[in-house]
Amino acid sequence: MANSAVMGSATAGTSVSSGAIEQYNYDIVKKFALMALFWGIAGMTAGTYIASELAWPFLNFDIAQITFGRLRPLHTSGVIFGFGGNALFATSYYIVQRTCQTRLWGSGLANFTFWGWNAAIAIAGVGYLLGITQGREYAEPEWYVDLLITVVWVAYFLIYTMTLLKRNQPHIYVANWFFMSFILATALLHIFNNLAVPVSFLGIKSYSLFSGAQDAMTQWWYGHNAVGFFLTAAFLGMMYYFVPKQAGRPVYSYRLSIIHFWALSFMYMWVGTHHLHWTAIPDWTSTLAATFSIMLLMPSWGGMINGIMTLSGAWDKLRSDPIMMFLITSLSFYGMSTFEGPMMSLKSVNALSHYTDWTVGHVHSGALGWVAMVTFGSFYHLIPKLWNTTIYSVKLIYVHFFLATIGILLYITALWVSGIGQGLMLRAFDEYGNLAYSFIETVAFMHGPLVARAVAGIFFVAGILLMTYNVWMTIAKRETLRSTATSAAKA
Amino acid sequence: MADSKHKITRDPITGAETTGHVWDDTLQEFNNPLPRWWLWAFYGTIIFSIVYWILYPAFPLGFTKRGFTEGISTVTFKNKAGEEVTSKWNTRALLAHEMQNDPNELKRQEMVKSVAATPLADVTKDPDKSAFVLAYGKGIFGDYCAACHQSGGQGVIGNYPNLVDDAWLWGGDAADIETTIRKGRKGNMPAHKGTLNEEQITEAANYVLSLSGEKVDSALAEKGKEIFNTKGCSGCHTPAATGMKALGSANLTDHIWTQANVPGAKTVEDKVKAVKAVISGGIQREMPAWESRLSNDEIKVLVAYLKLLSSSAQ
Repeated sequence: MANSAVMGSATAGTSVSSGAIEQYNYDIVKKFALMALFWGIAGMTAGTYIASELAWPFLNFDIAQITFGRLRPLHTSGVIFGFGGNALFATSYYIVQRTCQTRLWGSGLANFTFWGWNAAIAIAGVGYLLGITQGREYAEPEWYVDLLITVVWVAYFLIYTMTLLKRNQPHIYVANWFFMSFILATALLHIFNNLAVPVSFLGIKSYSLFSGAQDAMTQWWYGHNAVGFFLTAAFLGMMYYFVPKQAGRPVYSYRLSIIHFWALSFMYMWVGTHHLHWTAIPDWTSTLAATFSIMLLMPSWGGMINGIMTLSGAWDKLRSDPIMMFLITSLSFYGMSTFEGPMMSLKSVNALSHYTDWTVGHVHSGALGWVAMVTFGSFYHLIPKLWNTTIYSVKLIYVHFFLATIGILLYITALWVSGIGQGLMLRAFDEYGNLAYSFIETVAFMHGPLVARAVAGIFFVAGILLMTYNVWMTIAKRETLRSTATSAAKA
Repeated sequence: MADSKHKITRDPITGAETTGHVWDDTLQEFNNPLPRWWLWAFYGTIIFSIVYWILYPAFPLGFTKRGFTEGISTVTFKNKAGEEVTSKWNTRALLAHEMQNDPNELKRQEMVKSVAATPLADVTKDPDKSAFVLAYGKGIFGDYCAACHQSGGQGVIGNYPNLVDDAWLWGGDAADIETTIRKGRKGNMPAHKGTLNEEQITEAANYVLSLSGEKVDSALAEKGKEIFNTKGCSGCHTPAATGMKALGSANLTDHIWTQANVPGAKTVEDKVKAVKAVISGGIQREMPAWESRLSNDEIKVLVAYLKLLSSSAQ
């Protein structure tokens, strides 16, 4: 208790004593945070480029390595596992230390998770450009990268569990429940979805252990839970720490956090098959996927309510604090896309939305609106804390916020037009009962929205570039201050 | 100290109580109850799901008749023998039901039947049937033909012939067009860079362009005519250079270019260059056969569609 009292005075003040910095392993958090920005720029730039290829196909330049098919997994892996993954490692290592009031267990092993994780993404990424892929969405890396990821993940699990076990707090904070469920579920999903047999001894190519409809259902059990546990549960963990911290207010409801945590963890596992409606799968699997998706709506919204209502009593911060604007906007997009998702999982809606850009827009309202925005907000809080300084420019945070928000809104709207428009065209009949449009006409229709979408990507990339500059200057300024202080002391 | 860490406090702003847990100095939680509307909405989605499970196939249970609960919904459709059958709801039965009952599909089937029963020449004269062919044919053409011949049928010079200009390499009668679609075509012109030298190719090119009224060097064209008639060109293109349907050899006098991009060339030099490339390199192109992929009715509609398309372009 005495220890915690010392900690309290140290962090509450404007300057943190060197003792406090050593108590926590911030070095590993810093590394992951900076790598998240690196992959964010790489992955989002790749995304904007392939979006431009769809609008202006000449951008392929007939170079196989930069065609849509090769760059697309580079984009998805870059943003989900590179940007998102590194951001989760950074924030989870930070949060588990701060809320358990103890140093991270296993410094060497933590460094291994950093190098191992980033090496896996780099090896996989180079492979995509060369055409090496399993062809499984969001699980494109071949078996040798999968093995590396497995080892890294076991290390991550060990570090996290051991740190929780040696905590100096009687209770485990809600953010850590979400991170634990994310780590456990991701392990389960990764291993079962990647069960594959290499074609030759140490050969690069492998084939899945499953086949046909079972393979597709395994793939989408993985694919949708990558959304559920990687991009939702884990980022809720991030939200549960940074929103109350930044707001300076208690979390709205402890009871709601318990109920929505368990409901979310239980429901998500059932819903992946909604990606396969109206295909060669048993009808009962479609029913279960659709109904569990509907039942997932309120458990998802539990997180949004708990986040947004945490601001009650401090609503003025929505006007005065750009970090709070990022966090609350991210929760709004989270609420919007977790409403849209269950709706799209209904078979009648899915008949229109499936195979159109509506799905792509939906994913991005979650990925840009929720995942990226909550990360940006959290990082603007986290980075100055890590380097024991203040942010270089608050004004630039505002500019970033508006660039990102305009980008997302333009993106989602463009793909609503493109996706719903194409869906309606594909099912339109003329007076003789013919399909009114051929496929190519729907493609021609999509050109305008696809141009708007590419422009939206440019907005978003501009935002993260601005953020990186702001972070760079924050760290550089802090270095300058320190060196000035040192030279002054020498004189 | 210990007490202050675990004491339930009341928030001065909202009046809510905390749980008494504190992390990282400032992190606390209110013990607010679940929002009522949230809870009732959650119950609502559960009731929705239970109703869904009762109506439709839902849970895999080994002891049931088919290994899963089938639900109480049913679908009625006609089987292959034409008898009306009612089965438990499933997507295959639903598809059969919709294909047999959807008003759009019934209308379409009726029109296809009436076009199939009418001689092609009469189809293209009948305004209602023509309108149907243009609509239905556009879809077939868009899905199977437009990838090469482009969605308007205008083709791509150098690769895929224009289908709306009323000039046909392999014949423009309905029967010819049908054969082209059914069996496909192989267009083949030998390369002449081995048999003619650079000078001769230039001369031949000038002659070919002069046939279409292009302003070329008349002396070169005159020499080219000699080459055209003695070095094998006229064998396929005929001495009059009007082409041969049986070989798919092009008419070189009709101002229409399918291979050399003469219309796109700005100067005479570029036009000569474009024709020279064809003479020296030859042509190797193939249109696939569609007989096994399209039904007889679809082929008939497509032929009528192309006839209407090319005549409307005149």
